[in-house]
Amino acid sequence: MAVSFTEVTKRFADGTTALDGLNLKFDLGEFVVLLGPSGSGKTTACRILAGLEHPSEGRIEIDGRDITNLPPRMRGIGMVFQNYALYSHKSVYENIAYPLRIRKTSPAELDRRVKDVAELLQIGSYLHRRPSQLSGGQAQRVAVARALVWEPTICLMDEPLSNLDALLRLHMRTELNRLHKRLNKTFVFVTHDQEEAMTLASRIAILKDGKLVQFDDPRTIYRRPANRFVAEFMGRPAMNTMDGMVENGVFRSGQVTCRVQCPDGPVTLGIRPEQIVLGGDEGFAMKLDVKETVEPDTLLIFTNDKGTLTVRTQRDCDDLAPGQSVNIHFPPDSLHYFDAKTGERLR
Amino acid sequence: MNRSYKILAVGVLACILVITLTPYLWMLLTSFKGRLDILSPDPRWFFTPTLDNYPAVFIDKDYLPLVLNSLIISTASTILSICIGAPAAYVFARTDFPGKEDLFFFFLTTRMAPPISIAVPLFMFFTLLGLTDTVYAVVIAHTTFNLSLVVWMMRGFFAEIPREIDEAAMMDGRSRLGAFIRVIIPMAAPGVAATAVLCFILSWNEFLYAFILVAFEGRPLTVGIPGLITPHGTLWGQVAAVAVVATLPILIFTFLVQRHLVRGLTFGAVKG
Amino acid sequence: MSKTAANPHGRFLLDHGSSLPLILPATLLVLVFLVGPFGYMTYTAMTDLSFANPDQKGAFIGFDNFRQLMRNDPIFWGSFWLTVRFVLAAVCIEFVLGFAIALLIWHFIKRQRLLTTLLLVPMMLAPVAVGLIWRLLLQGDFGMVTYYLHKLGLLSKASAIFSTPSLVMPAIIAIDVWQWTPFVTLIILAGLMSLPKSPFEAATIDGAGPWRQFTDIMLPLLRPIIALVLLLRGIDAFKEFDKVFIMTGGGPGTVSELLSIYAYRVNFKNWNLGYGATVAFMVYLVVLILCSVFYKAVYWKSANIGGR
Repeated sequence: MAVSFTEVTKRFADGTTALDGLNLKFDLGEFVVLLGPSGSGKTTACRILAGLEHPSEGRIEIDGRDITNLPPRMRGIGMVFQNYALYSHKSVYENIAYPLRIRKTSPAELDRRVKDVAELLQIGSYLHRRPSQLSGGQAQRVAVARALVWEPTICLMDEPLSNLDALLRLHMRTELNRLHKRLNKTFVFVTHDQEEAMTLASRIAILKDGKLVQFDDPRTIYRRPANRFVAEFMGRPAMNTMDGMVENGVFRSGQVTCRVQCPDGPVTLGIRPEQIVLGGDEGFAMKLDVKETVEPDTLLIFTNDKGTLTVRTQRDCDDLAPGQSVNIHFPPDSLHYFDAKTGERLR
Repeated sequence: MNRSYKILAVGVLACILVITLTPYLWMLLTSFKGRLDILSPDPRWFFTPTLDNYPAVFIDKDYLPLVLNSLIISTASTILSICIGAPAAYVFARTDFPGKEDLFFFFLTTRMAPPISIAVPLFMFFTLLGLTDTVYAVVIAHTTFNLSLVVWMMRGFFAEIPREIDEAAMMDGRSRLGAFIRVIIPMAAPGVAATAVLCFILSWNEFLYAFILVAFEGRPLTVGIPGLITPHGTLWGQVAAVAVVATLPILIFTFLVQRHLVRGLTFGAVKG
Repeated sequence: MSKTAANPHGRFLLDHGSSLPLILPATLLVLVFLVGPFGYMTYTAMTDLSFANPDQKGAFIGFDNFRQLMRNDPIFWGSFWLTVRFVLAAVCIEFVLGFAIALLIWHFIKRQRLLTTLLLVPMMLAPVAVGLIWRLLLQGDFGMVTYYLHKLGLLSKASAIFSTPSLVMPAIIAIDVWQWTPFVTLIILAGLMSLPKSPFEAATIDGAGPWRQFTDIMLPLLRPIIALVLLLRGIDAFKEFDKVFIMTGGGPGTVSELLSIYAYRVNFKNWNLGYGATVAFMVYLVVLILCSVFYKAVYWKSANIGGR
């Protein structure tokens, strides 16, 4: 019971390579999030699974059945598009009913299913409207309803929340989570927003340059990023990373000094802003450059000639002023080590 | 399978292209044919070309002034309709006033008016003014009917320029009119050019107004054409020569503004 | 328009009063040289003015001309229905052909520029020149098209088509189709190119095959453009004068006497200006009706093709 991409490569006519030997395998019933910066191939992967694009090489399977050359309608996959792609000339009801009409569902069954799914998504009162009369959030729900109404095994969502304003996005996010729990279907969700990925996914597939970088549950991704790219991509503000040298168990990079447990030589050290400890007498001193208050947190940005160090803290920072020297300590447990050349996680 | 469909489609399109272009090509060939080649009962695709038809009609029959008239009429009416129409289009693009859309629609109806219904009273009017049989009459008529095209087309071009540009120019110290002339017009220059070319083409091709308003002096090339056709013994070589001169410049113009043509021909409704 | 400055709802970019000088010349020009003549024509339509008869100096006779036209003018009505049939036949054929060609180009041809430019040729030619070209091609004894039609067995003998009454209107329709089908193709093609991709992808996911995508998605989305093409062509065809005037002059007899040509004959052959104005008025009326349909149904909707 799984969906699998095997060595899937997609080259477009203009010469760009969107996917470069992608290998990915997940189980039905999961909420998989494809995450990556723009150009990472996440949308292409989604469209290939839908059957809207044809891979240049490689194989896609569902339940061990090769679907690489199957037309979209035979795949049992529903999809929510980024711009919703509602049929502007049809009413909401007809938009939702369309997949059922194509599948020649009996009128009574069709009506029941449309009303059920409309109920589920709380759009029952807009069924007679036109898409142009809907707000962004309502159009979004209609698109989801249309994708789910014929009960496909997999539901794809290509950046469905990116056109909504911030508050609505949070709300829809919760809603999608609830929907997934309730329907127990496979959701494949494409986004570039790491926060969305963290909250929704049962597992996150991080893509970069058409390749899979890491595929793990959100907690593992956050706590044990597979390489420097993932480490810097996940979490906000981004993880601090410093290139430096270890000599006799002590890491140095500019003013940064700290005790580490790794062999001597060049290394990239990483630490999340929220895990840095201020004050005390351990560690080293750095000059505060900028202070940003984002209640209830405060962001402190320290600068030296080797770069910047960001600290996120909840403690009261009224006593700190830019220009002041502050003592900084890296707790040993929260350090991440990456290979200085390849960026791969060392342990 | 897919490939053979494509070959079939390309074949069909090629046939359509041949049907589309052959008649004009034939006219072009005819203008270089001698009498015997033209009157041959089986079509002659290959023949010894001659240039005699052109001087025969333009010099001997004195059709050259007609070309000049056509040029004067088209150029003058184009300049006039742009100069008068563009500011109006700008107002339509930028302001709201009660009845704006009605006035806008009113401009359209003038364009759509059948020439035959307007030309007769216009003829009487110009008789009153003593303007019949002059290029002025035709220039005025053409300016009027091209005006609505300018207003409709240019409104779209102006509307595409963000209002903030006007506002920025005015903040920089230009007057409203100064902003329009110094900033907006140059930005809309490709649109102005396309509109002007289309006006020119339509004026150059126009027949009925000119035919009714000028009988002899000041008649453009299109009006000279029917005079060459006689029930018997029409000199087709010369007719073709006139037709070629009346159409070739237009075709060249057409290729220049091809991109904006769809927009012009649909009064701005389709961007193309 | 003096209310311009007083309207509190509009967003005024123009300073008070400064929009007036910009829009006034255009309005005046149209008023003087189009509305004025139109008003005069409407007045003339209610007189008995005729240059052919010295007794008819233009006395006001009310609606007599209209009554005459409606009740006792079989030639007008013959011409009217001829025009209607011409418009329907020509526009329908042009639409179906033009749409099909647009689909072919859209689907199979990537680099369309050259092709569409060449397709423009017939419709950019002066209509008078088009008339000439076809008059030459359809000559009885040496016409190129006549010759090949005869060779293909489509024409019993190589005779002049324009002097064979039964063939005149079909030939005129065919020539109009030749000239204007590319117009339909270009506009529809522009419409096809502007279609959003996503509704088609959504329909693919929903399981619709090519035919259902065509009928369920493409046609409804193109509806404003289709209406636009049909109306623009309809209005233009209804006014048709130049080509037919050059090719047949309305003949033989009155076989191809479309409304515009009939109006021309009444005015400038018979010099019956009062009655001629009445005929011209009727032509304008029909066009005006078509025109307002165009405006209401098409223009403002076509602005947002695709929508959400």
